Amino acid sequence: MADAGGIVRSRTLGSRALTVLKYTLLTIGAIVMVAPFLDMFFGALRTVPERLARPPVYFPQTPQWDNFAQVFREMPMLQWGINSLITTLSVTVLQVTSSAMAGYALAKFEFFGRMTAFRFVLGAQMFPFFLFIIPMFFILRYFPLVGGNDIFGKGGMGLLNSYLAIILPFAVSWHGVFLMRQFMMAVPSELLDAARMDGAGEFRIFFTIVLPLVTPGLATLAIFVFVYQWNEVIWTMTVTRTAPNLQTVPVGIYLLRGAYVEEAKMSVQQAAIFLSILPVMIAFLFLQRFYVRGLTAGGVKG
Amino acid sequence: MRWLNTRTITPLLFMAPVLVFAIVFFFLPVGFSLYISFHKWDSLSPPEFYGFTNYVYLLSKDPQFYRTLVNTFVFAGGTIAIGIPLALVVAYSFSQSRFQTVWRSIYWLPMITNIVAVAFIWKFVLNDAYGMLNRGLALVGLPGPGWLTNPSLSMFSVIMVFVWMQLGHNMLLVSAGLQSIDDTYYEAARIDGAHSGNIFWDITLPLLKPTILFLLITNFITGISYFALMMVLTEGGPAGSTNVTSLYMYNMAFSDLRLGRASAAAYILFALIFIVTLIQLRLFRRGGVEAHN
Repeated sequence: MADAGGIVRSRTLGSRALTVLKYTLLTIGAIVMVAPFLDMFFGALRTVPERLARPPVYFPQTPQWDNFAQVFREMPMLQWGINSLITTLSVTVLQVTSSAMAGYALAKFEFFGRMTAFRFVLGAQMFPFFLFIIPMFFILRYFPLVGGNDIFGKGGMGLLNSYLAIILPFAVSWHGVFLMRQFMMAVPSELLDAARMDGAGEFRIFFTIVLPLVTPGLATLAIFVFVYQWNEVIWTMTVTRTAPNLQTVPVGIYLLRGAYVEEAKMSVQQAAIFLSILPVMIAFLFLQRFYVRGLTAGGVKG
Repeated sequence: MRWLNTRTITPLLFMAPVLVFAIVFFFLPVGFSLYISFHKWDSLSPPEFYGFTNYVYLLSKDPQFYRTLVNTFVFAGGTIAIGIPLALVVAYSFSQSRFQTVWRSIYWLPMITNIVAVAFIWKFVLNDAYGMLNRGLALVGLPGPGWLTNPSLSMFSVIMVFVWMQLGHNMLLVSAGLQSIDDTYYEAARIDGAHSGNIFWDITLPLLKPTILFLLITNFITGISYFALMMVLTEGGPAGSTNVTSLYMYNMAFSDLRLGRASAAAYILFALIFIVTLIQLRLFRRGGVEAHN
């Protein structure tokens, strides 16, 4: 027969064992998460002889930091970086602006078709991106009156081979609109009415009262879009395959893979890959808390 | 013209950019691709009306198409079967741990990494002879299989890499679900003398059901339409073993220029996703989940 003290003791012992188990598990998981990155990092620092040895030397004896500089000499990394920055920042600004405006209208105005519009925003999120790849490509191709096209969209390349081809399809996201609508719901309507009584115009109210109140929401969406767009590959590759001067960092690295099939050259490729992750990693470390909110908002309401 | 006052015009102005976008980049593509799916089109000559030929071909004459569908469902099912239990266990440990910011940053690292980097990193790790994984296995005396070169193993490898990518995301959603469980349940159970094992099975898991259902559904839909990893890591190979329907569709369109048939494939896959979603939404409701309020 176990006395009360025995039960308590065994429970604390059990819970201590459980705690150890939990941290062991978390640690193993963490190693699995990080190890592949370290593998690439060591790879990026290897010398050519180290790579060619059989078996290859795993830990580089004299880290070749110059491999990172070599990336800029061998690949148009700077151009890719600029392209990535231009497209990513444009998409972020456009998406945050369009989402904030539409979200505000959906949350704070009564107008004809509001419910329909909101249902559409929810429903449109169900349409997978692969459905749009083919038609969107040709809509940009046959966009009238741009890129050498006539009014019927014939004759030129349309919006293809321009930054707009990468940016425009991501100018609005339905999830973004939904997210901002949720944030806008929390803005007190009394405040807006009071401002209207004082004679403030609608756009002034939006910019001076509403936007400052939802800054955390805007930041959440912005970091979300930034990470997503920096990492976007499929669409950007589809429209820039024939336009090397528009390729972004990940797309450029991928399309140039043919030049790095030789073992001797792989260190430079691995260094380039490391560089492609760096900007998001930095942005993410600083703005992590906003990212948490973005993932959990609009999720489950159990 | 009473309706034309600021109260009606203002919301329209705020909605204007999104409305224009919806027309040009939503309704137009959805309609255009439906139109093209009933035509034979190589983008060089004008589309030629084809009726249901593309659909009939894919569903009854193209053995490749079925194979990719099977691959698609194996991938989606596999990522759920492995990824969600893993996310549950890790989130359970994570939610009661200290230094959460550190753990979270580590587990999210793969999630914020671009797919090209993910694919190339794993190509090195899973390399047959000198990859980190097989060298590690060799250290303990195990033979290293051809993770990406063996057609019967490649899908498993792709699933594992995808699970690795998504773990941080799923873990976060589960731990958010865990945090929303009221502490009083645990206190009551503890006062009644339940131990941790009981508490997990009898309290945590049932109360987590909505979260798990939500994960199942969203992960499944993501899995069915996903192809970026296969495109970059295995290019659908070896021997078509990781060729999923959306990747098949993409190559059909942009390598073979069979745009009509590719559009039909896209619509068939979309219809499947739609049906699966409807079934799951019903499950949702029965499971007491309100996805959006």
